[in-house]
Amino acid sequence: MSICIIDYGLGNLASIRNMIRKAGGKSEISSDPTVIAAAEKLILPGVGHFAAGMENILKSGLLPVLHEAVLERKTPILGICLGMQLMAGHSEEGDVAGLGWFDADIIRFRQEDMGNLKVPHMGWNEVKPAKAHALFPNVDEPERFYFVHSYHIRCNNPEDVLATAHYGYDFTCAVSRKNIAGMQFHPEKSHRFGMGMMERFIQWQP
Amino acid sequence: MLKIRIIPVLTFNGFALVKTKQFGNPRMVGNPIQAARVFNSRNVDELVFTDITATYSGRKINLPFVKEVIDECFMPVTIGGGIRSLEDINDLLKIGADKVLVKNLAISDRNFIAQGARMFGAQCISVAIDARKTGSGSWELYRKTPTGLDAVEFARMVEQEGAGEIVLTSVDRDGMMHGFDTDLVNSVLEAVNIPVVAVGGGGSPDHFLELFQKTNVKAAGASAIFYFTQFTSYDIKKKLGDHGFPARFMAAGN
Repeated sequence: MSICIIDYGLGNLASIRNMIRKAGGKSEISSDPTVIAAAEKLILPGVGHFAAGMENILKSGLLPVLHEAVLERKTPILGICLGMQLMAGHSEEGDVAGLGWFDADIIRFRQEDMGNLKVPHMGWNEVKPAKAHALFPNVDEPERFYFVHSYHIRCNNPEDVLATAHYGYDFTCAVSRKNIAGMQFHPEKSHRFGMGMMERFIQWQP
Repeated sequence: MLKIRIIPVLTFNGFALVKTKQFGNPRMVGNPIQAARVFNSRNVDELVFTDITATYSGRKINLPFVKEVIDECFMPVTIGGGIRSLEDINDLLKIGADKVLVKNLAISDRNFIAQGARMFGAQCISVAIDARKTGSGSWELYRKTPTGLDAVEFARMVEQEGAGEIVLTSVDRDGMMHGFDTDLVNSVLEAVNIPVVAVGGGGSPDHFLELFQKTNVKAAGASAIFYFTQFTSYDIKKKLGDHGFPARFMAAGN
């Protein structure tokens, strides 16, 4: 099993590789199209500004490589944080288009609904699975993960919602459809819950 | 519901962990890599790890050494010390830091926070504000040389520039272990809308309870309590949980 962590110049790649190793998997950090095309699984990481993320993907020439791997060969892929957000069709952050793998928008936490809560949403929060899925086998038991973000996804297809969390209001914090999954939180930074998630991703056969 | 964060804030001098009192009297307290391993096994919420002598000694933080520390951490890590350029931030993020803690450059170069936030995202730019009480309800932004700046004003300013978080340390309470400066915390919380980590003075679980009862802060940092007492972050959270605060409990070990 080889997992390719896609390097497009943004994100905490070393931590993801570290957690995959701890969870018993093998991974490689790469921006090489042939490595990405040959990988059995992909991780799209990313931290930072949405527009900068899309710009880097376009500049690196990886867009057709990603589309082909994910949409045609159905390689299982996990997006983390900005990597998940990039899978949406559009983001308010920079007002730019994303990869469009989910019919969804990335919107800023609506301050008017937040009371005196601070943005970014930073820290440990409970994640509630919204549907039965190999990545969330315990539908009844909320797990805790580490979050740090100011924007979140809003799906237009309710069946794409994999899990929700509450911060000011309930928001979608994980999405999935077929071979594509994405998480706003950081499994690589979430101790044993994160390790459990990574183990399930390694096992995942969509 | 978002959990309260309890964060060990570890300072080192390039080689060993040191603990100061009111920012002076550094005392050797152990090995950073071992400490990271212990805090990881205790499932702490986050770690802040700062080289407090890098800037003043005019050297860069030791990246291979810090990487060894980060590799022990399966939780978010903030790294500070000796940051002088955007490239320094990039280097730290590359070896696995989740956030960087900027202090001196935030004071001397008013554009730096904005540039860092634009390039790497506000969420990974934390600013260290060390505040020394100068009178009732006023605190000066502290560094080795006097700044003459008001700490609360400075907090407001770094938020506008795009800082994602403030690590707020009371210089007067540092290492004293007799409780947090809740007035300082409240003054900064009123001024800004970004998360604040309150540091300085936590010497027992009761001090943390007092902090969360008297202020609306969601994160507290400490170090002396972990070095010099039998209390762990679990004891602190147990106390908070018993009083109805949302804390994240996890048995030790993973």
